[in-house]
Amino acid sequence: MNRFWALVFLLVPVLGVATFVVAPYYHHWFPPDVSELGRVIDRLFMFVLWLTGAVFVATECTLFYFMWKYNARSNHEPIKFSHGSHTLEVVWTILPTVTLSFIAIYQMNAWADAKMRKPDVPITAEITGRQFNWDVRYPGADGVLNTPDDIFRYDGQIHLPVNEEILLLIQSRDVLHSFFLPNIRIKQDVVPGMAQNMWFKAKVPGEYDIVCAELCGWGHYRMRGRVTFEPRADYEAWLKRMYDEQEAKTVAMTPSE
Amino acid sequence: MTILAGCVQAESDPPQFHLDMVQVSANQLVPQHQQAIADILDAMFGTPDEPFVLPETGLDLRKLKMAAGPSWSDQGGTKHGLYRRNCAHCHGISGNGRGPTAAILDPYPRDYRPGIFKFKSTYNPNEPTDEDLHHTLMNGIPGTAMPAFSIFPPDEVAALLEYVKYLSMRGQMETALVQYVVDNIDYDSVTGEADPIDLVNDPDLRADVMSLLTEDVVAKWELSEEDVIVPDDSTIPPDGRSVVEIAASVKAGRELFYGTKANCTKCHGPTGLGDGQQDDYDYWSKAVKTFEEGTTALAATIQLDKQNLAKLDGDAYKNAQAELAAKERELTERQEVAAMQLPPRHAIPRNLRANMFRGGRRPLDLYRRVNQGIAGTPMPATGPAMPGAQGTLTEQEMWQIVDYVRSLPYEPASQPQMRPLNSEAVVN
Repeated sequence: MNRFWALVFLLVPVLGVATFVVAPYYHHWFPPDVSELGRVIDRLFMFVLWLTGAVFVATECTLFYFMWKYNARSNHEPIKFSHGSHTLEVVWTILPTVTLSFIAIYQMNAWADAKMRKPDVPITAEITGRQFNWDVRYPGADGVLNTPDDIFRYDGQIHLPVNEEILLLIQSRDVLHSFFLPNIRIKQDVVPGMAQNMWFKAKVPGEYDIVCAELCGWGHYRMRGRVTFEPRADYEAWLKRMYDEQEAKTVAMTPSE
Repeated sequence: MTILAGCVQAESDPPQFHLDMVQVSANQLVPQHQQAIADILDAMFGTPDEPFVLPETGLDLRKLKMAAGPSWSDQGGTKHGLYRRNCAHCHGISGNGRGPTAAILDPYPRDYRPGIFKFKSTYNPNEPTDEDLHHTLMNGIPGTAMPAFSIFPPDEVAALLEYVKYLSMRGQMETALVQYVVDNIDYDSVTGEADPIDLVNDPDLRADVMSLLTEDVVAKWELSEEDVIVPDDSTIPPDGRSVVEIAASVKAGRELFYGTKANCTKCHGPTGLGDGQQDDYDYWSKAVKTFEEGTTALAATIQLDKQNLAKLDGDAYKNAQAELAAKERELTERQEVAAMQLPPRHAIPRNLRANMFRGGRRPLDLYRRVNQGIAGTPMPATGPAMPGAQGTLTEQEMWQIVDYVRSLPYEPASQPQMRPLNSEAVVN
């Protein structure tokens, strides 16, 4: 009967691995990556996954082996006590330390690229999260934020140029949110009172999701938007259209809303 | 097993529309008449799960059916119950702006029932156009909790728009019916007899109710489509003005803003921070406030009556006692109704230096705000109250104010105040 439980515990690594193998076929895997840094981040993810997966399978199988071999029903010899093995303790401290240190150092460059090496470009747009909407403010033709020619959009449809280094200023109007672009593999919590920068480069034009990745209230699940990456010429034409719409003084000028 | 028993989803009753209890209580409608009004509204508009509209309303029943009912998705992925899925938690099942999350929001969600909407392109007393409601749905309202629905499919947005109009018309019909009952249907408070309201067997009543619908409700919505504020071409500032021209316009606007003709600083404050008059109410809060004040006054009257009671005797005493009992019942009911309302809030004027314009930041939007004020709020109109009437400001003056207001967020206040006078209230 106890061997039954050993088999139950064996199911853990079996089902665990099976989940990861099968997931892509059910589209429960990464959304398409269209960014420059995304490749590095995905590779890091897979590296850590394989490494920890291997350790996971090894330890679970060891657990199964001990449960199977030393189950109470099949063992009738007297119990032997051990005072532990100093060598074993040293080994299984040093090995994980080395592994984890390796991972820590291995990922530093990717982290620095995403979070510390701010590109020296002007701010492309200012994104403000509020409960439960993403508002955006573009610097307008003069390229400077907080001037009268800024373009404000509140409909959650953000446009950005493709194949260019983009620098965003992100902030919150009220509570914690997180500006997450799944297809760019970039997210950053927007903290009330703290304006932060976020940078990336998109390589493929198209429309992608913006989602909120920090619980911000009852509407968190639906705090979504769409980001459109388009060539610079289209982007500037779109900005001009939005600016003209914003400057509308008469009914005939306004496009159908 | 007993632990699991609680996991089985009990079939709960479907949600129902409720009458506006403030209106009902303020008018002292008896239960029979309340029920009759509720029945008439059910017959004319259906229920939250099964909507219905008469063709006179001009509403599209197919869209209403998409928006109404419980929230679920079918096999093909089409979403049903859009209103309950997206809107009811703030705006409430009846569209009364008192959904479960309304109490924690500032400003409160819109109560559709009076048919008053703040940000629109029509004259102040009129309903919004479909375009106005569509704009609000697509862009949300910045500075409030109203989100944008632009990433929703267009047919879902159209269904929600229709449902908002449906709830609004239903609310307006309810008010019309309450007023009709107060004016025309008798109730004898002494005998407790209420004249019956029998829609089925009374053709005159049916005719009256239909004319209430078409004239008091639907006609106003139809009118709004024609009554859009279109600035006169000759007064619109031309594009490509020089810096000097714009500065001159801003200067003129500044003088008007701080002058007595437009009197903007009375509410918007001496530096435009919104710290002027802050003790007025908007329409929706005022209704609750008036009701609360009426309740307080009734309580005071009851106290007086109790004192006078001691001086009476015989029949006069019996009559006075019966009246007092009736008033105390009314007071209890009013207190219960008042307790269920959202606490009335002062209408805080906009901080114009915050660069956050809820109704839109285009010159056209600001022009409409200056021209017609904001319906339901103390923001007054400086333009004509209806086409052809005379306003207090000329169109050119309005455009000058618009230019000034647009420049305000970028203008350093001379001798700037470090904080507005009532900073807790002026956080917008």
